[in-house]
Amino acid sequence: MHDGNFTAFLIDDDPAILKALSRLLRASGYDVMPFHSSRAFLAAHDSSIPGCAIVDLAMPDIDGLQLQEALHRENVERPMIFLTGNGDIPTSVRAMKAGAIDFLTKPVRQSHLLAALTRAIEADAQMRQERASLQSINDRLSLLTRRESEVLRYVVAGRLNKQIAGSLGTVEKTIKVHRGRMMTKLGVRCVADLVRLAERAGITPQA
Amino acid sequence: MSSITLAIERSPASQLGNFIKNPIAVAVAYYVGAEMAFFVGTLSDKIFAPFWPPNIILFCALLLTPTQRWWIYFLAAFPAHVAAELGVGMAMPQLLVAFATNCLVAGMNAFAVQKFLGGARCFNTLRRTAIYILITTIASPALSALGGAFVQAMGNGGLEHYGLYWARWYASNALGSLTLGPVAMICLTETRWPTSFALTYRHAEAAAVALMLFAICSVAFNLSAATAAGGYLPTLLYLPLPLILWCAVRFGVKGASGAILMVSFVLIWRTLNGPTLFVVGDAETNVFALQIFLIGLSTPILLLGAAIEETRHAEQTTRESEERMAFVAASSNLGLWRQELATKHFWATRHCFDMFGLPVTTRPTLEALLNCIHPADFRFASIAMKSAIQHGAPVEIEFRIGANNDDIRWIAARARPEFEDGNVLVAIAGAFTDITQRKAAEAEAMLQRQEITHLMRVSMLGELSGSLAHELTQPLTAILSNAQAGKMVLAHETPNIGEISEVLDDIITEDTRAGEVIHRLRRLLKKGDAKYETVDLNDLINTTLRLLHSELINRRVATSVDLTPDLRLALGDPIQLQQILINLLMNAMDAVEEMSPSRRIINVSTNNVGDDEVEVRIGDRGTGLRAAEKQYVFQPFYTTKKRGLGLGLSICSSIMKSHGGSLSIQNNESEGATASFRVPCKIM
Repeated sequence: MHDGNFTAFLIDDDPAILKALSRLLRASGYDVMPFHSSRAFLAAHDSSIPGCAIVDLAMPDIDGLQLQEALHRENVERPMIFLTGNGDIPTSVRAMKAGAIDFLTKPVRQSHLLAALTRAIEADAQMRQERASLQSINDRLSLLTRRESEVLRYVVAGRLNKQIAGSLGTVEKTIKVHRGRMMTKLGVRCVADLVRLAERAGITPQA
Repeated sequence: MSSITLAIERSPASQLGNFIKNPIAVAVAYYVGAEMAFFVGTLSDKIFAPFWPPNIILFCALLLTPTQRWWIYFLAAFPAHVAAELGVGMAMPQLLVAFATNCLVAGMNAFAVQKFLGGARCFNTLRRTAIYILITTIASPALSALGGAFVQAMGNGGLEHYGLYWARWYASNALGSLTLGPVAMICLTETRWPTSFALTYRHAEAAAVALMLFAICSVAFNLSAATAAGGYLPTLLYLPLPLILWCAVRFGVKGASGAILMVSFVLIWRTLNGPTLFVVGDAETNVFALQIFLIGLSTPILLLGAAIEETRHAEQTTRESEERMAFVAASSNLGLWRQELATKHFWATRHCFDMFGLPVTTRPTLEALLNCIHPADFRFASIAMKSAIQHGAPVEIEFRIGANNDDIRWIAARARPEFEDGNVLVAIAGAFTDITQRKAAEAEAMLQRQEITHLMRVSMLGELSGSLAHELTQPLTAILSNAQAGKMVLAHETPNIGEISEVLDDIITEDTRAGEVIHRLRRLLKKGDAKYETVDLNDLINTTLRLLHSELINRRVATSVDLTPDLRLALGDPIQLQQILINLLMNAMDAVEEMSPSRRIINVSTNNVGDDEVEVRIGDRGTGLRAAEKQYVFQPFYTTKKRGLGLGLSICSSIMKSHGGSLSIQNNESEGATASFRVPCKIM
């Protein structure tokens, strides 16, 4: 029994299944948003809502795998659980490689579905956490001045203050000041933390 | 062709031999014939015979010889003539003229008979006999007598009796042609001489009648000579007539000519050698009267004989052709019959009775045959036959015969009326054919067709198995989820009864849905006879599309459905019609398999056509049929697919035929092809 704030986005072209699964998931404590087609889901999708998409693989127009591709293309991260009536191995491998949480065969057992949902909640939380920490790094990075950003790239490249000063045409003392401010703004205490942060933020070291 | 000509033509080595032998034989025969004539009797001048066989001998010899070789026979006959005539003391000029006229009459006879009758076979029909008489008894003796009369004129009389001499000469030759001629020519043309003589009843009869004729002639003519003055002459003269008629009737032209010869021979012999019954005047006149009597008697008898011969031959031909027809009919398993209406006379070939299993001794009646009909068919068959007899309408029916079920045979009966004078119904004739084997083969073929149709249906569903399983999985998924949700609702401290009820309703609905899928599949998989009923093709199309729902989705094919709302009800077997629908839809899916998404569409539509048909059209937007494929698509084992037996369309086509409908495939104007089938509909 789940009682957090987690939404199951149900996408199936069969109204009876949509209704039955909605009922089951609501009874299990999830918020449910049912959609009868991928198109309807894409049109109404809000990626900020924590949740997981439970998608029928075989649907007219846009099927499950195509929906997964569409979300990837739009850079939307959303954990996905696939349901299929007659799933074959190549299809399931394709879905799993593209990051699906699970690939379940209809008629789906409650325990399997809920276990997959539990994993989806974790994945979603992790994803959100990741995204949140990245966001805070980016926020801090945006506080840096142009000179501090330059110094950051030299530091993560392992250059000494003297060398940096030489490269930037200034004195070592100035670099030291920039470096101290930069470290404070980014909230790191040692170079090792700084390197990790820069790596996560995708900052390339200045050779 | 005679034995003599055959001998001449057959072997070149013996040709020279025959070249000499035949004329010598004719010369000898000529001499013997002349001596016979003199033996029978001559007229008062002792040199003139009223009955003269040599001319006939010469005539027959010429008839069998090509015209360019006639001179040989004339040459051969001359010494015989001279020897015979000199023997009776005829003067040389008379002898020469007599020989010339003899040659003339024989030549004219032979030439004309050869030209108009084509040979010696002159007595097989009435017409040919009449022509023979016209030539040899009337025309040629009359002409040759113009010269022959001079012989006697030269002898004693002078020209004032020329007319009388002409008449005598004429009568003498004409009588020969009527009495000796037919016998000689029949002997020459007889092709079936008995190789060994066995005494049969017919031989005995012929001998007896000949003997009786001889006796009666002798007695009658003897008596008549004595009673000539007593007024009994006509009676006695005609005494042999019944026997002559007997000969003609029983033995045809052979009997007639034989009887004539015998009567002539006896009568002439009597007249010349004893008291004569022809006592008109002098010997010449008496003989002339006798000749006229014999010519008058012979002509109708000979014609009668020929007529009887012709009738008998016609009868034999008819009998032979009838036997041949009966044989042919029996060997092609046909029994023929005919019923005359006025006399109730029934005729049927033996095979009819064999076919109906009746003993040959059965009294032949139509009822006896009809009584063999199987009780189940008896009513309709006998009504059909009786109404055909009553109304004179042609009838064509098939029925079973045999009482117990192990021994049933199928018979096809055909009958047609026979009319006389345009519209008077006189008889009904028909044929029975044993069609048991055909019926068995038909039943066998029908069974096989059903088997194949069913097998194809099963194999088609096998191809669809994945999609069909999915159709079942859907409701099962909904049922399972509903049940599990229900359990969770119940686990609440205060379960929501309303929701439980809803859950159960949904479970029932979905269970019904699953049941329907199974029901549809079972119907398609079941083997059974076709059942014809009214079918709403719109409904059938919707059901079929539901069954193929998953397949269409899996193969990414969309459908565009345009069903006529007031579609008439079709008449047919719903399962076989659905089989056609599935088959055509799957063909259409195959056709668009490789197409871009915009062309992966199947159009399904229904229409009323004319007054009595409904049409279903299934069109795709694939590549269509190639021109070369069009003629083969309905042939068994023709396929363009990588997998498949090539039986689908051929079976669809045969299903349509058994429905009295039609199936066709045509390329669309723009792209792809459309398959359409028409089924007869229920008449409102």
